[in-house]
Amino acid sequence: MSDNGHTQSGVLYGMAIDLDKCTGCMACSVACQAENNISFRPDESNKLRSITWMEVYYLDNGAEHPDYRFSYLPRPCMHCNAPHHSPCTFVCPVNATVRDEATGIVGHIYPRCIGCRYCMVACPYHARDFNWWDPAWPEPMEQMLSPKVSTRMRGVVEKCSFCSHRLNAARSKAYLDGLEMSEVTYTPACVEACPSQAIAFGNLLDEHSEVARLAKSERAFRLLSKLNTEPKVYYLSRHPWLHNLANASL
Amino acid sequence: MKFGRRAFLQFAAGAVGGTLLSPLPWKLADDSAIWSQNWSWRPSPERGLVSKVPSTCLFCDGGCGIQVHLVNKKNAIYIEGNAANPVNQGGVCPLAASGCQFLYAPYRVSQPLKQTKARGDASGFQPISWEQAIGEVGAALGKMRTSGNSQGLAGISGRPRSSMFHLWRQFFSAYGSPNLFQMPSHADSLELACMLTLGHEATPAFALERASYVLSFGANLLEGWGAPARMQSVFGQWRQERAGIAQPKIVQIEPRLSLTATKADEWIAVKPGTQCALALGIAHVMIKNHLYDDFFMTSQVVGFEDWIDAGGNTRQGFKSLVMQNYAPAQVAEWTGVAAARIEEIAGQFAAQEYAVAIWGEDGGKTPDNIYSDLSFLALNLLKGNMQPGGMVSLVPPVPLEVLPEVQMDQWAYRGLQQPRLDLTQTRQLPLPGNGLYAFLDTINRGGSPYSVEMLMIYEANPVYSLAENRLIKEALGKISSVVTFTSYMDETALQADLILPNHMALERYDDVIGLPGVPYAYYAVSRPVLPPRLQTKHTGDVILALAATIGGTVKGSLPWKNFEAFLQSRVKGLAAAGTGALAGKPGVQPWALQSGQAPKSNYKNPKDLWNKLTSGLCWYGPPVDALQQINTASGKYELACVSLQNRGVNVEDAAVYLPHFAPLTPSGDAQAFPLLMMGYRRLNISSEYLANPPFMTKTLWDFLLKGNDLFVEIHPETAKSLGLKQGDRATLTTPEGEVKVRIRIFAGAHPGTVCVVHGLGHTAYDEYIQDKGININDIIEVQMDPITGMGTVWATRAQLARA
Repeated sequence: MSDNGHTQSGVLYGMAIDLDKCTGCMACSVACQAENNISFRPDESNKLRSITWMEVYYLDNGAEHPDYRFSYLPRPCMHCNAPHHSPCTFVCPVNATVRDEATGIVGHIYPRCIGCRYCMVACPYHARDFNWWDPAWPEPMEQMLSPKVSTRMRGVVEKCSFCSHRLNAARSKAYLDGLEMSEVTYTPACVEACPSQAIAFGNLLDEHSEVARLAKSERAFRLLSKLNTEPKVYYLSRHPWLHNLANASL
Repeated sequence: MKFGRRAFLQFAAGAVGGTLLSPLPWKLADDSAIWSQNWSWRPSPERGLVSKVPSTCLFCDGGCGIQVHLVNKKNAIYIEGNAANPVNQGGVCPLAASGCQFLYAPYRVSQPLKQTKARGDASGFQPISWEQAIGEVGAALGKMRTSGNSQGLAGISGRPRSSMFHLWRQFFSAYGSPNLFQMPSHADSLELACMLTLGHEATPAFALERASYVLSFGANLLEGWGAPARMQSVFGQWRQERAGIAQPKIVQIEPRLSLTATKADEWIAVKPGTQCALALGIAHVMIKNHLYDDFFMTSQVVGFEDWIDAGGNTRQGFKSLVMQNYAPAQVAEWTGVAAARIEEIAGQFAAQEYAVAIWGEDGGKTPDNIYSDLSFLALNLLKGNMQPGGMVSLVPPVPLEVLPEVQMDQWAYRGLQQPRLDLTQTRQLPLPGNGLYAFLDTINRGGSPYSVEMLMIYEANPVYSLAENRLIKEALGKISSVVTFTSYMDETALQADLILPNHMALERYDDVIGLPGVPYAYYAVSRPVLPPRLQTKHTGDVILALAATIGGTVKGSLPWKNFEAFLQSRVKGLAAAGTGALAGKPGVQPWALQSGQAPKSNYKNPKDLWNKLTSGLCWYGPPVDALQQINTASGKYELACVSLQNRGVNVEDAAVYLPHFAPLTPSGDAQAFPLLMMGYRRLNISSEYLANPPFMTKTLWDFLLKGNDLFVEIHPETAKSLGLKQGDRATLTTPEGEVKVRIRIFAGAHPGTVCVVHGLGHTAYDEYIQDKGININDIIEVQMDPITGMGTVWATRAQLARA
């Protein structure tokens, strides 16, 4: 047992997003949609109904011209590591969303989900979206669906999985290669796509990893850290106003 | 037996209890949950083995290496960057990441279509066979030629940095028409600026990888400028923390707080259209404080000091002109930047060893005012950036095999003798370049000495994406036959008489020759990653088939079996030149090469080079110093454009020879149109040939697009003076027309401007694209540069009123 109340393996996957490098190009968000078969509709401008696992927020410093500045903040699921439970796993009545103690990844099992949306209410990061409609792709776009991720059905909640299917594939390969499971590394789609190399991903417990190093940077902060949800996604910025906004509501 | 109230209640309670104790309700609830989650209409992706095929991205000029993921070798599901490619180093832009949505777009053209009703009527398109399509076009072309009107064929091509453009040029020359044009780009005016100063057509390149100070005059580095993914990657490197090493300083000079501006270290909000004046103001301070290499500026440059023209008259030099006209106090008045600030920037720029000035508003999509290009080049020259190994070099040519000399018969000879149609009304242009606008102008005012019978449009959508697109719409109405070569049913295809669908970018051989603004030589080949989905045909093969149909010298000038063979023949030249190598694994740094320092070749023969290029490796070579291949009459950099003397320019006007601040005035009455409308671009909105894919549209914020309403940005003060509030509906009027928009009050907008995003407002395609927002090209105004005749775009007068 670790000091935060759940069993601890040697692996805790986490992410560090450098907002000084991020250019808001949205490649991460698009790559995520393609990788995870995220459905889309003709009008996606109602953001309360739009499904986006990697949402890119627009933040500004509230100043007047010419001191006004804005920034982007890509927001995947934080995969919260709070004691005993993440906010979403705590409220799920059917164990559809659970944290994998061996990796720290908070998963969501669609066939178990009954669509009560408690988790959406509980999540302080708005990282979860609900399927209000049957997913439908215009003919012939179904041909570009990835067999690695199932499509979701109407009436369930979905969210970022840290591309855990890529972890499974990496583990299968590691098993065949005779490697240690705890040494498996993999790259989620958003990290792979980022053209300015703003996102680092890896094992937070491995002190030699890039992500662990960045998490300790003096530029690092986490969103709503006052809630003690212990997000495993870290942000880096040299701008104090972004640090301050991180503890305001999104 | 009496069934009373009591008995009924007992029975009911028993029934409820009994049912709940039985497994039935739980089983039914569970079944219904499972059933409701397994709707038969929820798609199940096809299962199978996933493989990766490397290729080169063709969605823009950026030349990124990509890997396409295929299921069972036939369904493309995902595009990732190729980590071995030095341009994008494994990253991709959102357009490439959306690439499969173009492959499976519902709006692709599946076979040749012929318009049987009026133009623009989508229901009039009838499918025809390829034999019939090529036969009909070939016959029409043959007839035009033998009736002595080969010059009546005109062409507008997209993708100018490809061998396809060379093939088009070969075809047009052999056929006998001088009227092949390209879609406009900043390269058009840069080529002419280099022609004037260096004596040959080239475009400048910037060693941004090693910059320590970047003075960006409105260059939208992060929004599509140059090679987009290279800029993203360079930016990531700039912002990389390295112990003890300072990060480069980026100073962004532009009226609007763009993404690049907010990400820069400093944003200088100049008045619209005055960046060139600021550059000359900085030059003034550098000259005044003697922050330049005196020996270089006098020994290697013509026109820095006063000079003597061909008539023996003494002419004012750059030094004297700048000292006279661009004192900081004067420049401050034009630009709104305080004089002390100008002095400060000039000091920083001059002090930094690796400082560079870059420019090119509008992401390099439109030509610039030629005097702006010349001024920014002059600032770099003064800084010493053009000296060997300096920060500014030229985009190196790629030594591909030259196409065989065009064989000409009498028709071709006669046709090519005819004047090219980029004539302007008043006079012959001193510097003719890619004069697409001058061509459209000639057609529209009936100024052509011969009739244009057929227009071919390749991989371009000018009816949508050309600024002031009414010009092309009008011109199409005056041309009897329009043939488009496109993969998609876009706005231009809808106006065609015949659509000859090209293979989509992932289905064909193609190439990328050099990268905009990139100092190292670059060549990459795109290969079909999967077989064509539809009955399309490679446009290269169609050109060869048309040449064969016409026969004679046209056929003889295009002797290749197919496009692939043509491309292979070009690569033979590359192999023989031996000036470059292949980048096969991550970590290759072509930008570290010195001029003339060819990397060690790592291919055996042309065949081997071709095999490696088609397996996803790219070719790179050393940079070319700006002054290395100087070709001016004086053998020096001509800061004073001496060669304009021989080009019919009014020699009385001294400033005409020198870089100076010469803004073009937007038309319209400043009283009736008190605002300036300026366009901007974003990397997650495709604004040219390709329409925005649904993946990218999903990433647009609801304060940019809500439903079908587009928001335009205005400054809070401007909003106040117009009585407009956040989210209000308004009518945006320019001399070109009016559109309905909504208001976003944005503190990053310059007072007195209204900023409109490019890339929305399509009328073609499907419900995922159509009618979302407005197309700024419908209401934008193009101003013709008086020296080059090129259509430049910077601002359009506008008015906003509450709707």
